[in-house]
Amino acid sequence: MKNISRRNFIKKTGLATAGTMAVPLFLKAFENRPFRDKKNQKKLIIIQFNGGNDGLNAVVPYTNDIYYKNRPSIAIPSTNVLKATDTLGFNPNLKILQSLYDDGSLSIINNIGYPDPDRSHFRSMDIWHTASNSNQFLSSGWLGRYLDNHQQRIAHQAIEIDDTLSLALKGKRNHGFAMSNPYQLHKTTNNKIIQTVRQHHHDHEHEEAVAYLYKTLSNTISSADYLFEKSKVYRSTETYPKGKLGKDFKQVAELIISGSDTQIYYLTIGGFDTHSNQVNQQNKLFKNYSEALAAFVRDLKKNDHWNDSLIMTFSEFGRRVAENGSKGTDHGKANNLYLMGGSIKKAGFYNQGPNLDQLDNGDLSFEIDFRRVYANILNDWLQTDSVSILQQSFRSLGIV
Amino acid sequence: MNNEQKVKHLMARAGFGLSPENFLQKTKTPYLKIVQKLFVPTKPKPVKTPYYNKLSPKAYRNLTKEQKKKVRKEIQRLTTEVNRNWLNQMITNDSQPLLEKMTLFWHGHFACEAKRYDFAAQYINTLRQHALGNFRDLVLAIAKDAAMIIYLNNQQNKKNKPNENFARELMELFTIGRGNYSEQDVKESARAFTGWFANKSDGSFNFKAEQHDSGSKTFMGKTGNFDGDDIIDIILENKQTARYLCQKIYRYFVCDKVDDNRIESLATILYNSNYDIARLMRHIFESPWFYDPNYVGSKIKSPIELQVGLAKIVRMRFDTANAGIYIQRALGQVLLRPPNVAGWPGGNAWIDNSTLMLRLNLGAYLVQKSNLQLNVKNGPEEMALKAPKQLAVSTDLMPLEKMLSDMQPQTKAIVLLGYLLASSLKNEAAFIQQLSTTHESQKDSTKRILSRILSLPEFQLC
Repeated sequence: MKNISRRNFIKKTGLATAGTMAVPLFLKAFENRPFRDKKNQKKLIIIQFNGGNDGLNAVVPYTNDIYYKNRPSIAIPSTNVLKATDTLGFNPNLKILQSLYDDGSLSIINNIGYPDPDRSHFRSMDIWHTASNSNQFLSSGWLGRYLDNHQQRIAHQAIEIDDTLSLALKGKRNHGFAMSNPYQLHKTTNNKIIQTVRQHHHDHEHEEAVAYLYKTLSNTISSADYLFEKSKVYRSTETYPKGKLGKDFKQVAELIISGSDTQIYYLTIGGFDTHSNQVNQQNKLFKNYSEALAAFVRDLKKNDHWNDSLIMTFSEFGRRVAENGSKGTDHGKANNLYLMGGSIKKAGFYNQGPNLDQLDNGDLSFEIDFRRVYANILNDWLQTDSVSILQQSFRSLGIV
Repeated sequence: MNNEQKVKHLMARAGFGLSPENFLQKTKTPYLKIVQKLFVPTKPKPVKTPYYNKLSPKAYRNLTKEQKKKVRKEIQRLTTEVNRNWLNQMITNDSQPLLEKMTLFWHGHFACEAKRYDFAAQYINTLRQHALGNFRDLVLAIAKDAAMIIYLNNQQNKKNKPNENFARELMELFTIGRGNYSEQDVKESARAFTGWFANKSDGSFNFKAEQHDSGSKTFMGKTGNFDGDDIIDIILENKQTARYLCQKIYRYFVCDKVDDNRIESLATILYNSNYDIARLMRHIFESPWFYDPNYVGSKIKSPIELQVGLAKIVRMRFDTANAGIYIQRALGQVLLRPPNVAGWPGGNAWIDNSTLMLRLNLGAYLVQKSNLQLNVKNGPEEMALKAPKQLAVSTDLMPLEKMLSDMQPQTKAIVLLGYLLASSLKNEAAFIQQLSTTHESQKDSTKRILSRILSLPEFQLC
């Protein structure tokens, strides 16, 4: 195959019916993929809260006076809190967390962060995406580097449900795949321009840059066709909340249940930068998240995928303990993080809630490095070597 | 390579490519003469700072919350205007192409996010002023630049509580590179830059003697009452700084893969000229190896190179400041908003499935006004942009039509391929054959052939 152009190859194998040739070709190619052999069907679903979610109003220390004193107008009244332990409970709009907690399918990590925290959204998210130290600059993301470790890979091994790709999914050699929905993607790759260009594909193997572009093009078209076909296999009958997030979760559930060989799904929810009038804004976001996630969990359970799924929700930083003058909160440091799924080994609260007596300049101080969560996921869920990806050794948390 | 190919390659790397008019004219000029013209000393045209009736700090404090919010929004909008002004300058400044390209290079090198429009413009103009001057002057000017001082926290670098951010990046990313200094060097040099503040109202350099640590420092084996100037001198005395810079320049202007012997000889030229940037660049563009066919079309255009290059071809103008920013965000390179202080990684990192689809379709969006459906990410403190149905840009194909007047489709295709692609296509004859077959008006055939060529992955290369 090396010296035969793709076009000639297709001609020779009799698959050259224009427009439809992608389907048989990619099906053929996927027969030999590593993820077909049922060994690791595990799925990782990441939900990023953009803007710095106020974790203190998500997992509430409802018996702590310091919490109430610092937040006269935005604290969650203890009577409304969905109680989990003697001291901690959930925001009333996060019903799904309570039900997963009761179920033994939720692990909450308190006081998560990293040394020398940065209060800029941009930079802090950069640190979470690249898993770098605070004074180090990496240009590849942790999931992207995970993809780099795969020699033979499919373009849609990791999908971000969006039109553009986040740094977390960009590797040094391989990238994740950005897609808002399979239908629109299919429309894009099937437009006249792209279809004409792909016919032009020729052997460029000795010219690196051109070859890379054509390879990315042909992988994109194959994956678009594959995902489009897969998206027709299973149509969910669950009720997801209206709006983009519900649609996105439904999309992911349908792909998982249809048996798509995608391993990682990445979703982002914006709007958590609550400098003013926080309560209404955050409640609205939580309610939507909770309802969408609840439907998603029902879908996966019903179809026997819950035990193979791991969901992580995080944000770039938490917020200050004291409210500001606008009934909101400003950028802070440590936060909490949620891991959910049918195979959680250590459910419940991984560690104690924040110590509000000992604040770091008015902020929660960090206790657990977020890269320990990544190490746990990489080693034990994705079954790879976390040290080569994180470029440092982090003690696994043993949660998954 | 013939002269036309050399000129094309030169102008793709030392500039953003050629407009149709310039293509016809310059490809007839001997390439060495064009190199010579690139280095005729001229005063850098500054990027325009938008006019704004700035409030005094006191007047601002007296505003209501709502009014303050409005002011902040307006300042954010003005920063997008600076982005547009700069972009337009790159597109239209035909008399200083290398200056424009170097400024963009320095922006990636001295990567800095500037949120205030006035500091943003000042920062770009600092880069422009020294873009082809002396590297020492440039480093020093950047160390005193308000946008950089704020971005790397030197405003918080005080005698009793040093902040190492600027001092560290100065060595790690701006001058000598990792592995050539110790943690102690970072600490000591941070002390030398204490009190190097920016005046937040007018953006001028503001040396606060009472916050400056004037004590003795030991830096890279030398001891003295060093201040920032001395630190920069000591770093530049080490030839490793010249090597580090030459590697970066080589990757950007010549080829992603470095050749160590060549870097060593370039570093010697730079070092012996006392860091004369123009001298180094001129040497590169006059070297026969620069025109090695292996380097032609070996680089993937950055989003800005692509955008500016296209603009020159189809005389594109941005009807709104957001139109330019939208393309930049969608393709992953927003001016004045690098991913971090290390700048944009470049090369293959520009390309993923989303950016590639947009890149291949961009020509058709511009020329044939086909519909666009792509939402860009809106960060927490970013101006929220919605997916436009069509790009808010106008184009003018007149110069191209003039170049192609009265040509048959086949000839048009040949001429356009020669003009638009860095090197010839693999199966050029068949491609030209395909483009020549249909019947349509002169104007339609130009648009069709043009969009077809712009959609080729080969057009993404320079």
